[in-house]
Formats: sequence, structure tokens, C-alpha cells
Amino acid sequence: MIVAEWKPIPELLASLKGHKNVLLVGCATCVAECAAGGEREVLTLAPVLKMGLKDQGQEVNIITRTLERQCEPEFVEELAEIAPQVDAIMSLACGIGMQLVAERFIDLPLYPGVNTTSLAIREQPGLWTARCAACGDCMLGETFGLCPVARCAKSLMNGPCGGTRKDGKCEVDENTECIWRLIVERAEAKGRLEDLVKVRPSKNWSNSGHGGPKRMLREDLR
Amino acid sequence: MKTPVQTKLQQAIAAGRFALTLEIGPPQSPNPEPLRKKAEIIKGLADGYNVTDNQTAVVRMSSIAASKIILEMGLEPVMQMVCRDRNRIAMQSDLLGASALGLKNVLALSGDHQKASAAGKLKGHPGAKNVYDIDSIQLIATIKGLRDEAKQEGGDAIAEPAPFFIGAAWTPLGTPRNFRVLRLAKKIAAGADFIQTQAVYDVPAFAAQVAKARDMGLTDKAAILAGIIVPRSAGMLSYMDRQVPGVEVPAELIARMKQAKDAKAEGIKVTVELIQAVRAIPGVKGVHLQAIEAEELLPEIVKAAGLSPQDR
Amino acid sequence: MAAAKPDSNFSPEIVALYCRQCLDAEERPQEGARPAKGFNARLVMLPCSGKVEAYQMLRILEQGADGVLLVGCPENACRFLVGSRRAEKRLTHAGQLLDLVNMGAGRLALKRAADLTTADILALAGQLAERVKTLGPNPMKGDSL
Repeated sequence: MIVAEWKPIPELLASLKGHKNVLLVGCATCVAECAAGGEREVLTLAPVLKMGLKDQGQEVNIITRTLERQCEPEFVEELAEIAPQVDAIMSLACGIGMQLVAERFIDLPLYPGVNTTSLAIREQPGLWTARCAACGDCMLGETFGLCPVARCAKSLMNGPCGGTRKDGKCEVDENTECIWRLIVERAEAKGRLEDLVKVRPSKNWSNSGHGGPKRMLREDLR
Repeated sequence: MKTPVQTKLQQAIAAGRFALTLEIGPPQSPNPEPLRKKAEIIKGLADGYNVTDNQTAVVRMSSIAASKIILEMGLEPVMQMVCRDRNRIAMQSDLLGASALGLKNVLALSGDHQKASAAGKLKGHPGAKNVYDIDSIQLIATIKGLRDEAKQEGGDAIAEPAPFFIGAAWTPLGTPRNFRVLRLAKKIAAGADFIQTQAVYDVPAFAAQVAKARDMGLTDKAAILAGIIVPRSAGMLSYMDRQVPGVEVPAELIARMKQAKDAKAEGIKVTVELIQAVRAIPGVKGVHLQAIEAEELLPEIVKAAGLSPQDR
Repeated sequence: MAAAKPDSNFSPEIVALYCRQCLDAEERPQEGARPAKGFNARLVMLPCSGKVEAYQMLRILEQGADGVLLVGCPENACRFLVGSRRAEKRLTHAGQLLDLVNMGAGRLALKRAADLTTADILALAGQLAERVKTLGPNPMKGDSL
């Protein structure tokens, strides 16, 4: 899923300065799964914002909505009725959903309520960890299903750097596995350590954002 | 095609002399004088002098400029280059520039992550965007392409080859241990001519890894220089054992430093013994010696270890 | 709701959310407004304290109540095993958010107990009312929609 997390409350309060009627809009898809922008989080944040603004001497009316998917125009259209009643929108969707809302309601200021951080998995209740970097050149077939682009702090392609801790964790974070340690262990378990010996040449990053904004065209679907 | 390269370090290795490299960290300053002072202390001792590239992700005078400054003083630099801060375009451009300035030894490294800035002692730039367009092994291959094929990574030709003596780092006792020799093999396959290792204190464990490398024929293809960091206290050794990945310090060594009345003298003694011990390992062609923040000890240690130029 | 009176000299309004499993077997569950000495309580019965969400506690405060009391079962006596533990985590989360907006986590309280009477619950609400008096009236009072 696409993972996002709330921006710091003071930043959210500052962004709503001067607004009287705000639409706080969530998304019931990825950001609901990662507990940042689903209905529950919309309902949680609304009173917090009201109380925080009141504390700063500002009265604000907050209308809450949660769309099925904020990245689909059909669902965003559901906001058309309420939009005239508000003077700003705060979105708790990922950056994709936010942009669709901003585009549809071009006259209203759109404030991000969350920071979109990663493509991740819910590894345990309350713990999300990155799995994909949308690099545009998947190498999972060479790395026994574990992604070093998203899961190595240095996106190394040819094995672990010298920073693997004794307990197999990454030098950058004692709670994060050195993904290359896991790749090597999987290779060993399959008796295929030799597969990792070939030097992987420099990667072509041009099929990701590094090649300019991605534009995927499928004539058969148009 | 292999473009011939001549550096003092390469010649020492080719001649079968036990090689010695030392290290100089550029200053956090635009003033070259501190660098020159450090260089003056250790000038004439070694075959090459590693010039670090913003180590621990702290901004310092560029490796390329600092290398040129010590080269002018008659020290032969080993210019370090990390993959953290530059993409393949900038790195190749800097390599061509370095070559134009007469720099010939280059050490390709992944580089410390910016989040681990100076182990928390300095602010550093934890909010920086890192690059890691290519990794250290791909950098080695890129340098080899510039040298042996006069070709850029992207395939375009350069007008003439850039003669580099290519170095790489090795953490022989790192985790996962079984892969470390294979990673060394990859670096050598990519084009590394010489290898400098993470600090060695556990000589038997290191020797076992070198033996594996030797069995794979790696020690004939590249020269391994064992890393030695002068121990200055039991506390430093135990810190390195616990906190520095890939460094294993035997408990007896820590105890020995603890019992020593004069830790400095004992540290020098230990260093000399370590140098002699790694020198006896078949396949080890030299040492990379560091005295962190104590460069003034180096002349004495080099002499005591029998590594003075006239003794090698 | 009544307009806010000056600090500490006011009658706090406490909403008490209580788990029905905490009640004494003989006690008849009661809900709704219960005036008490020095404060006003509103009782709300829950099937389990773990049923409560952070946003519900926050909304009660946003609408002007001075404090929210959550009464759950002793940690290891929850009929749904983890309900009262979950309640505690949510209350902590809500409290952190309240601190961020200067409302004060002190307006929330969790009490764990068993075999309670309505009077016991009111007594617990009274304890929270005393603490809330030091925080003053809820600044949101009178603003409810």
C-alpha cells in the first residue's frame, strides 16, 4: 500500500490559519490501511484541529468526508456538493489523491494533512515497513524476492556494505534488517549463493521519476 | 586491453615490497594549512595516503582538492570516492578532473550513510538526499571502463584512457560472514587492483578469510592491504568491538590494554605485533595503517614495525 | 451548556464511559445525566471499554465536556481478553493529541475496577472532576454544534 503519516499538528494548525470552514477529506483505501487518512483518522483529527485552533483563538467549522478512493475522479466528484460551503480543503490522502482533489476544486486552497512516505507493508499491527521504491527496473528475480532498492539504506545492488551490524541489522537503524543479509541467507538456504556473485551492472533509473515524470501509455486500452 | 598505470603504490606491490598506506582526513575548513601540517608529519613514510571523501557524511574539503594539495607536497594520494553524494555523471567528471590533476590511485567506497553523521557528535546533514546512483562495485567497473576501454559508463568514448590504480574496501569479518569473501571476489571481478580492509584485531579470523580468498585465487589478482587502527585504550577497543560493524576485537586484547600501565606505549606495541602477524599471512601484501587523531604516533610506529622505506 | 465560569470555581461535566462487565452482578445498569456534589456526570454504558475509539473521547471534549472517564475491567479480567488494554492505548493516544493542542491529557482518565455500583462510578468521576478543576473549564464549552 501507499503509506502516509500525519504531518505534525502544529504544521496542520498553521496551514489552516484564517480559514473558517474546512473540508477534511480522507480516503478509505491505502491511507486507511496505514491508519493515516481513513474515516477513523478523519474523525480523530477533526476535533483535534478544532481544539487546537480554538486554543489559538480561531473558531473553525470542520466538515468531514471520507471517499472510497481519492485517486479516482468518480469518487472525488462526491465532494462537489460540499465544496461551495468551505473555504479550504485538507486532504489525508496520499499525494496522488490530494492532487486530484486540488485539480477538481481549483479555486479552493488544498492543504496536505499527511506526508506520503513509502510503498510499504503492514508487517505487524502498528508497524509498516517499506517494500518497494517504484524504481522502474525490478530486480526481485535476482535477489530472492527481497528488494535492496527500497530496503537497503544505500540501495546497493551487489551485496551488503561494511555496515551490517553483528546481529544482522542495518547500521542506519538498529531495528531494520540489513536486507542484503536476508538476501544472502535466502540464497544460502536454497544452495544458490553463487547466484549473487555475478556483478550487477549499473541500473537504468530512467523508467522511474529519474527519467522525467512517468507517463505510461497503453493504446489497447484507449 | 589494460591501460598501464604507474603509481608508487602500484610499483611497491608489483615489486613485491610490503606496501604501506596511511590516511589523511581533509579539514572542515577552506584553509589547506591543517592538511599540510598533518601531511608534513607523515610525509616520506608510506607508498600512498588515503584522502577521505566526506567521511561520516560530514562536509570537509573535497577529496580531490586535498589529494592535489598533498600531491604537490610529494605525498602520493589515494583519492577516496564514495557513492553517496554524486551520480555517475559527476563521479566520472571528477575522475577525469582528478586524472588531469595527476591523481592516479582511487579507492571506491559506498560511503557512510548521511543519517549516521559523525556518530552523533556533529550535526552533519541527516536531511540530505543521498544519491547511490551506482554502488561501489559499479563504481569500480566504471573506473575500469575509463581506464581500460577509454569508455564512459554510458558507452561514449573518452579521448584517451584515464590511468587509475583502482582500490576497494573489504570488511572480511562483517556479517553475513559467508558472503564477505564473495563480495571481495565481486570487487576484484569488477576491476579492483588493491584492497584495503576494515581494521583487523582478530588475526586468526582474518587469516581464515584471507585463506578463503587465496583458495579462490583472489590474492593473485589484487593486493590485500590489512587495515590496522592503532589502539589507544581498552575503552576504544571495546567500543569498536561493540559498535563498529565488521570489527572483532578479542577479549584478551582488550584486557591487555586495560592492564597496561602506559596505554599509549602498549597501543604502539600491539600495533607492531598486529602488523607483524598480518604480514605473515600468505596473500597479505601490505597494511593500511591509521592512527585516528594521533598522526604524530605514526613515524615511531612505522619505524618500530620495520616499515620504514629503507626496511621494506 | 452553561457558559464557562472562572477557573476551579465551576462544576465540571464529566462523561463516564463504563464497561458493563465492570458492574456488580446485582447492579442495574444506568445511563444518562447524574448530577453529583460539585460536578455533573453523564453515564454511558459500553459492551467493553475496548469498544471506545480515540476520536470518540476527543469529540466529547470538543463538544464541551470537561473530562472523560473510561472505566474498564482489570487488565487480566477483560471478558474480551484485550479490550481494556486496547482502551488504555487509545486513551494514551488521545491524551497525546490533547497535549499537542493545549487541552491537557489530564482531562482523560482510565480506571480499572470490578463489581462496581453506580455510586462507585460516580465516585471515580468525582476524582476526575477534582483533577479537571485544576485545568479549568474546557475552552470549547459553549461551542458545541
